[in-house]
Amino acid sequence: MRLTVNGRICQLDVAPDSTLLTVLRDQLYLTGAKPSCERGECGACTVLVAGPDGKPAPVYSCIALAHAYENDSVTTIEGLTTSSGPHPLQAAFVEHDAVQCGFCTPGQVLAGVALLARDPDPSDEAIVQAMSGNLCRCGTYPKIVRAIHSAASAMRGSNGD
Amino acid sequence: MAIDTRDTREAGAFPRRFVTTTVEVEGREETKVVELPEHDPIPWDEDAQLRIVGQRAPRVDAPEKVAGRARYTADLTRPGLLHAAILRSSIARGRVSLDLAPARAVAGVLDVIGSAELDRRIRLASGALFDTTVSHAGQPLAAVCADTADAAWRGVDAIVARYEPEPPVASFDAAVADGAPTVRRSSKKPAIDDPARSPNLAFGSPDVVERGDVTRGLAEADVVVRRIYRTPVQLHTALEPHGAVAEWDGDRLTIWESTQAVFRVREQVALGLGISQSSVRIIKEHMGGGFGAKTSAGAHTFAAAILARRTGRPVRCVNDREAEQTDTGNRPSTTQRVTLGARRDGRLTAIVCEADVPLGIGGWEGGPAGMFQEMYSCPNVRTVESFAWVNTPAMTAFRAPGHVEGAFALESAMDALARELGMDPLKLRRINFAERDEKKDRPFSSNRLRECYDRGAARFDWDAKLPSSGRWRRGKGMAAQVWGAGGGPPAYAIVKINGDGSADVLTGTQDLGTGSRTILAQIAAEALGARLQDVRIVLGDTERTPYTGPSWGSMTTASVGPAVRVAAEDALRQLLEAASEVLDVEPSRLSARDGVIATDDGSGTITFRSLCDRLGDVMILGRGARGPNPTGVGLASFGAQFAEVEVDTETGVIRVVRIVAVHDAGRIINPTLAEAQVEGGIIQGLGYGLFEERVLDPATGRMLNANMHDYKIPTIGDVPRIEVELLDVPDPTANHTGARGLAEPPIIPTAPAIANAVANAIGVEMAELPLTPWRVLGAIGASS
Repeated sequence: MRLTVNGRICQLDVAPDSTLLTVLRDQLYLTGAKPSCERGECGACTVLVAGPDGKPAPVYSCIALAHAYENDSVTTIEGLTTSSGPHPLQAAFVEHDAVQCGFCTPGQVLAGVALLARDPDPSDEAIVQAMSGNLCRCGTYPKIVRAIHSAASAMRGSNGD
Repeated sequence: MAIDTRDTREAGAFPRRFVTTTVEVEGREETKVVELPEHDPIPWDEDAQLRIVGQRAPRVDAPEKVAGRARYTADLTRPGLLHAAILRSSIARGRVSLDLAPARAVAGVLDVIGSAELDRRIRLASGALFDTTVSHAGQPLAAVCADTADAAWRGVDAIVARYEPEPPVASFDAAVADGAPTVRRSSKKPAIDDPARSPNLAFGSPDVVERGDVTRGLAEADVVVRRIYRTPVQLHTALEPHGAVAEWDGDRLTIWESTQAVFRVREQVALGLGISQSSVRIIKEHMGGGFGAKTSAGAHTFAAAILARRTGRPVRCVNDREAEQTDTGNRPSTTQRVTLGARRDGRLTAIVCEADVPLGIGGWEGGPAGMFQEMYSCPNVRTVESFAWVNTPAMTAFRAPGHVEGAFALESAMDALARELGMDPLKLRRINFAERDEKKDRPFSSNRLRECYDRGAARFDWDAKLPSSGRWRRGKGMAAQVWGAGGGPPAYAIVKINGDGSADVLTGTQDLGTGSRTILAQIAAEALGARLQDVRIVLGDTERTPYTGPSWGSMTTASVGPAVRVAAEDALRQLLEAASEVLDVEPSRLSARDGVIATDDGSGTITFRSLCDRLGDVMILGRGARGPNPTGVGLASFGAQFAEVEVDTETGVIRVVRIVAVHDAGRIINPTLAEAQVEGGIIQGLGYGLFEERVLDPATGRMLNANMHDYKIPTIGDVPRIEVELLDVPDPTANHTGARGLAEPPIIPTAPAIANAVANAIGVEMAELPLTPWRVLGAIGASS
């Protein structure tokens, strides 16, 4: 199957029952997406898939059959940092210490990126709504809210709003 | 920073290098012989001028974590890596026989092991590995390794297991009932030789601790409250499951393990496999949370190691979520019968707690007595803890084991007493403030709980009335906490100064996600006079780092911090001596700051980098040990939390609006990271208070919610406004950094603060956690 991952086109030999998470981790060695509940309950495996409008949507890769994403464009946490540096939300997670053990962090960051792509100035309620599918056991939630607000503000600033 | 280089050794005599000391670990006191450090630093007291310690330095490993570059155990790959999966028992009690042949025939499967394939008995917390006598559901029975994880699981599914089930003993009452079958042959013979005693009572149960005379205390009381409280089994539910990757090189074994205790795992692996500790290397780089559950080698560890040896290839074995929720330890449930007696003026005259704790098939004496013994001043206190073995998975430490359970019962009972007395609950707690550690009859090194009360009440606006009427009722509640978080030996550190003047700090502790790496770097940079970015912390590797104990008991900062400080000061002393040679001044006239050594009059300076250039191949190695704790004082961290809630009286749903937390943990090394610990503890405590509960089918002993959908941990939507204040007053009596522990304390008072607020809102006491909507509705219904 053909899959674009972090801007790179990949031609892959994928078993019919492989999940997107397995393909990313075991075939492409992109281990930022984590297996944790492995049944779409915790969000540690979150990756972004470009929707029809070009905007990224979060997907639980642990319950996503890889073949359903033929020809799609997938962004993992590894693809978020570009040559111009980390994504503003990654920087905000560091600045606001929205990280403890870090295991859920890639999924949290990507879910936040998807939110900011749809809503450049999210309210607390919108953040809670968008992030409630990403569990964190260390309890970084308050700082995640702060980081998302901070990144939203920085991104609006750089977009000339 | 001035260095105290006094040589206390007398010429011609053996110096006293080892002393006996006591250390409180997870609420229990242990006696150890420990090494005295080479020098005793001048304590960092309130007047110490510190530049890096106390700063809000960014978490040093945050950039790699947000970039997805931080590698966890399951992320590791090795050439030829195989995958292992474990078959677990679907019955809770009985016998099993396995036919492994069908698994060996599955495509991709390379090896299968059960009890017959083990050449020695390997003991786990819950019994022997792959035991054919089943004593809990989820017990490991066999392991399969294959080319892929999917093939390994297909192999597990192909094993034919023939069970001879027997009815499980699934509760405390069933375990101690007459005629109950013996659940487990206890390794420790109980001190009580009583034929009528249940064989399922563990250790020395009942464990009775008493001071004064509670009968007299209750006779002297004007008011007595008697209550029964129940708490649920809570599951750690770390996002990263337990896992190991094992690889042999000849007869040397390396295991990458997600663990809070690399040296303890090494000891257990060496013992289990019958090889020397020097043949085993345990590495833990990053881990996705532990909370107490990751302190031992588990079935996954041994399965990976044994299969790797048999196949000659590296093997990864990671728990799936069901195994993680079922069989990696838990906070045991409790039934606590509490009696409090007080005079009309609020002074406690008696505290009694009788607790029943079903441990599961293994575990230790992690009961709730500590809170009752330590929290309040009272001349007459009696705690009676009974622990029972039952056919459920073994308990283990879970963030403030015992105290979390005890706090719910004690602090709920204190509010009940306040209502009986017609007294403000906070006032009642102030009246019974424990000036001293009455359990051990000694002073505390420092106890600023009264300041926590003052600041919390002011910030919360405790005295303000909360208008409440109609469907949504508002309420406020509070609770307090004590936890022996003084840390202690043994902990060791080595500071290596590199050729470019940068420093590597080696210490065998672990960073669970708490931020140990960051705060140890701050302490090292401070003591060394280096820049923070020039200090690298190397942790969690039994081969590279000197021994340090497990990361448990809120011990790391107060245990490892002092060892790191001594090692850094030892390295600095050597740097100054070398600089003295280069600058031609006495070492006593030199000091270092930001990686630059300068003379006291500013006439000469040299950077660490230039100095190391000049030194060429000289290796500066600083060595540090954690000295003994002070004798005759209690070491504990304190705090108080205040909660505001809204309760929907039609649905029973509780909305926690706000929590104000004020904690006293001595000096705060990094306020940002300390606040994160407090927020995290509160959120776990909120889960314990509101929804977390292992549900067990009593008939089969099987868990019914072994996943993250049916076992509810808090989501971002459950989190109230959390306001954290840290007193940040150094405690130089506890240790020379002035810091005590803070990881466990904040989870302790959250659930009782919420429960007290709910009782305040609806006018009915809540006696059982979690405070689910149906329990709230039941309480409202029962009262009306």
